[in-house]
Amino acid sequence: MFRPTPMLKLEMITLERYRDSVLTYLHEMGAVEVREVEVKEAQRDAPNEFYRKAASYSIIMSRMADFLRLHLPTKKGGIREFIFPPERKKRRYVYRGIEKLIEDVEAFLSEVEPEIREVEGEINSLNTEMERIRSEIAALELLSEFDVDVSYLRHSGIAQVLVGKVEKIRYGSLERELLEALEGRVVLVPKERGDTVVLAVVLLTSDYERANPVLAKHSFERIEIPEGEGRPYELVRTYQNLLGRKERELEDAYGRAAEIASKRYDDLKFYLELVENERNKASALNMLARTNMTFALTGWLPEGEAKKVEEGVRKLTDGIVYLRFSRPSEEELDEIPIKLNNPGWARPFEMLTEMYGFPKYNEFDPTPIIAFTYSFFFGFMLTDFFYGMIVGIVAALLVKGHRKFNDGTYRFAYTLLWSSLFTMTMGALFGSYFGNALDVVGQYLTGNPNFGMWRITDPLRDPMFVLILALAIGLAHLFVGYTIGFIVKWKNGERKGALFDQLSWMLVILGIVLFATGKGVPAFVESAEVLFGIGLTLFAIGEVVSNGGLAALLIISDFFGFVGTWLSYARLMALALATSGIAMVVNVLVQMIWGIKFLYIGPITGVILFFGGQFFSTAINALGAFVHSLRLQYVEFFGTFYSGDGRPFTPFMSRREVSEVVVESSGKNDSGGV
Amino acid sequence: MEPIVYVSLGAALAAGLAGAASAFGVGVAGAAAAGAVAEDEKNFKNALILEGLPMTQSIYGLITLFLILLSARIIGGGFRFTANTPDNIVKSAILFGAGLTVGLTGLSAIPQGIIASAGIGAVAKNPKTFTQGIIFAAMAETMAIFGLVGALIMIATGVGL
Amino acid sequence: MLSDTTLTAILDTTLGVVFTWLGWKTYKILWKYTPYSYPNARINAMEAKLLSEQRLGELAESRTLQNLIVNLEDTDYKNFMGSATTVDELERALERSLASTYLLMEDILPDRVSGFFRLLLEEWDVRNIASVVKAKKRGEPAVDYVLEIGTIVPRVRAMAEAKTMEEILVILEGTPYEEPYQKLLLDEISLTEFETWLYRTYYSKLLDYALSRKDEEERLILGEFVRTKIDIMNIVTLLRGKAAGLPGEEIRKSLLPGGTLKLDSALNVEDLGMALAELDSTKYGPVIRSVREEAEKDVSAVRDALEDYLLQRVGELTKFYPLSIATALSYILRKEREMRRLRALIRLVASGFSPERIKAIIGGGLAP
Repeated sequence: MFRPTPMLKLEMITLERYRDSVLTYLHEMGAVEVREVEVKEAQRDAPNEFYRKAASYSIIMSRMADFLRLHLPTKKGGIREFIFPPERKKRRYVYRGIEKLIEDVEAFLSEVEPEIREVEGEINSLNTEMERIRSEIAALELLSEFDVDVSYLRHSGIAQVLVGKVEKIRYGSLERELLEALEGRVVLVPKERGDTVVLAVVLLTSDYERANPVLAKHSFERIEIPEGEGRPYELVRTYQNLLGRKERELEDAYGRAAEIASKRYDDLKFYLELVENERNKASALNMLARTNMTFALTGWLPEGEAKKVEEGVRKLTDGIVYLRFSRPSEEELDEIPIKLNNPGWARPFEMLTEMYGFPKYNEFDPTPIIAFTYSFFFGFMLTDFFYGMIVGIVAALLVKGHRKFNDGTYRFAYTLLWSSLFTMTMGALFGSYFGNALDVVGQYLTGNPNFGMWRITDPLRDPMFVLILALAIGLAHLFVGYTIGFIVKWKNGERKGALFDQLSWMLVILGIVLFATGKGVPAFVESAEVLFGIGLTLFAIGEVVSNGGLAALLIISDFFGFVGTWLSYARLMALALATSGIAMVVNVLVQMIWGIKFLYIGPITGVILFFGGQFFSTAINALGAFVHSLRLQYVEFFGTFYSGDGRPFTPFMSRREVSEVVVESSGKNDSGGV
Repeated sequence: MEPIVYVSLGAALAAGLAGAASAFGVGVAGAAAAGAVAEDEKNFKNALILEGLPMTQSIYGLITLFLILLSARIIGGGFRFTANTPDNIVKSAILFGAGLTVGLTGLSAIPQGIIASAGIGAVAKNPKTFTQGIIFAAMAETMAIFGLVGALIMIATGVGL
Repeated sequence: MLSDTTLTAILDTTLGVVFTWLGWKTYKILWKYTPYSYPNARINAMEAKLLSEQRLGELAESRTLQNLIVNLEDTDYKNFMGSATTVDELERALERSLASTYLLMEDILPDRVSGFFRLLLEEWDVRNIASVVKAKKRGEPAVDYVLEIGTIVPRVRAMAEAKTMEEILVILEGTPYEEPYQKLLLDEISLTEFETWLYRTYYSKLLDYALSRKDEEERLILGEFVRTKIDIMNIVTLLRGKAAGLPGEEIRKSLLPGGTLKLDSALNVEDLGMALAELDSTKYGPVIRSVREEAEKDVSAVRDALEDYLLQRVGELTKFYPLSIATALSYILRKEREMRRLRALIRLVASGFSPERIKAIIGGGLAP
């Protein structure tokens, strides 16, 4: 807690022939981040033929999978699936080297690929065919103005017929120039259609060369005359029949595709996952260094995993391996990958920290603090018992459904669950149950116009109290931030920074607190003044030391920057009041409608409006609370001490959803972990 | 001016200005959302949330409107400032000021919409920038929040509910 | 003591001023940014769908043209491919796809700048006409040179099919290309001068359009874009000329006006190496220096490097002005580059090059 996981640097040299099994073992275990071996002029490994095959199969198969997914029979129960996604069964695969794996995949493909290709090809060609028929129908509709057999329209011999479109404004000059160019040996049959003219041009075939430039100049667009006999409107019917027939064939093909999909999809996903992991594994190859007989690998891993990795690798290589684990040195500080290290209850909140950035190796991990402050601020800004309950119920369902996957949804829902608890507490403290709904109901039931739930104070009547509370919380939050910053900097040897950037503000805050709490007591006020003075002086010295001449300007702007940061916590109050305000607005509207007695319209619409409005209000206020609570962490709190410059730990790891792998190497059974 | 003019003007400006600004803001962001979704439907969820951010100002306006009306007892029986006494004029002018504050700071919805619009563009290009986009857009809301804080204090301490 | 009415008047005036100012500012902001909201979000989403390096690498692994076609059907090019099976048909598909991109930009961008993309599309007309006329003059089959992109493709096609040079004049009648072509037919100007004429007219039109924009930001971005393009053309012309050993005066005739560079001193040097050295002091110096060695052998290395520079520069502008025309420009440059790379890739795959070779060629020649 509060510190990133301790990391060790791993250096390993072993025989080339163990390379694949060692890599596979590390890949499945997912505990090591592989780094490029820093040896100049080292020989690098390139992916061999099998890895290349894995890459190209993964492309082919993922496209086939996309195709099949489109045709999978649709499942029902969208919301249920979302809240309680079923766990997918993992199929076992015994791994005996990439050669064997590629062989297996090829065997599978040779069976499945033709099947899928056939139906895919059929669907594609049917679609193209139908597209063609549709365009011919469209062309025929254009031609319907010509009430002659279409075969005349594509006549060619001594005389030739050209049919096409031309813009209406250009038709005049086209006609004139064409008559001129062909010395009158041409017949034009124009039919107007909106802005364009559909035009049949009859000319001598020998004149075509002369007509063509004129037609091109006027952007005459030829229409291909569809095949067939009969007048255009008759031919349209023939084509439409054909289209209907093709549509039925397409339905049929879809049916077969669905059949193949339900039979093969899961298998395909399984093999796809196998080759994709091989492909991913190949990405580590060019980070290794090799000689003819050996290869070297470097990387980082969490201290706790070292023993297991060592045992596993020794066993795989029959002990023929050089392994060295070393603690990081000062110079490597920027190199060390960061894995956050928190107890289970705070782990989902790591998501919030990571979104901003990772701490450096010698810095502080604020996740456990964020867990409380984020949820508390969220609760403060929502402050309503029932709103909290709604959010809480949704979050609890999601937590239950997604726990086993440990995915983003689970983590987010977990943070929401915490937040909802704070929301309910705050709601109960300020007597807010759907705003003032319970008060109104109570007044109605008891007949006492002054009835109200128990509360510390009514925020709408006494906003100053809430404002002061919010600012006090802000001050405490900032103080914690500066204190952490001070301790971390002091420990890491940046004493000057710790004094000027952090201690100064800590003293200022203490001064403000003493001043505010001890108004009547002279001793308090005096010591407050002293603390405030020392703090400000430190701050001013710091500015002069780091900025020199510009200090005068920066002292002013940075001081007001601090005041602005502090006042920013007023949003806690504003959003809390906004929630109760909207809830009250809904309640007032419902009260107004309730009076309509005719046909119970009042109560019926009232109930609908009440729940609709309150749910809407929950959603919009929860979004606001999420955004602004996060903002207070990122901008105000992190601004006091957090850099977020660390590089995240990205282990060399396989991704397995539908498969699990057992590594089998040189006749021995070594479980590769999953 | 009569107190009723101050009160109703204040309420109208709070909800009206902030509402109009929100409409513009959501409009700008909505156009961006439509653009992002036109290319890829996967952008829908992210774009929707970002589009909704400039809506808050109109809610602040609405709350202020109701608080002003409540405080002047236009809701809940018996207009409080019927007599044209100096005290009543001062109190109704305070309500007017509160409404104006929220209305004017509510204009922050327009730049917020523009930020959200740029954010939607960024998210369409790289979905990982979603949270950052939200935080950037939320920055512009700070002014509206300060306006609401000021108005609430003016109403509650200057006039009382 | 001020009277009540004076006080009210002062208050009213203050409020009036505040509201007018706010109204004006709001209007300005909305006018400036709102029209870009939709297109830029859409273009950003489109940019996310451009082929990644990895995807190109996978395409390079196709080995056969059939596989490549199947792979391409996974991309947005699918809609333009139809039943293309040959290299030529595929290239036509790429061209159609690029043309549709220009038209889409013209369609979705605000009216006050969308004409720029129509103009950019016209550049392809200029290229088409120049190459068709050149081929005709040399007596080569001109149809091979027609790219299926531009605003007057059918006309260009008819030009290529024309039997005589006079027929082409009929087709070009009434277009801005008529006058230079007439002069070319009358042998008043040479083929090179004809080509320069076309580009000169085109680029001055483009620059006029860019500099006549009302909004300062648009003027700035479009202006820089066009001027850089002109500079690139001029530098390449200069270096090509020097590589061919032409005298400065001869090259000067082919230069386009409107660029930011003063090329006088570079025009008057002896050879290519010295011209490159002269350019070193210009703002393109660092770019040219980075490809100096290849440039001595092949001038197109400079062009590629400068085009990458333009792309990078427009990318910077996009970051400065996220809701501006820069986003669309950056996208179109990327799309053009993608098309160039794909075109090379298609040819290389069809000629049976190994994936490693292909990656080296399209990665090295065109990548940043």
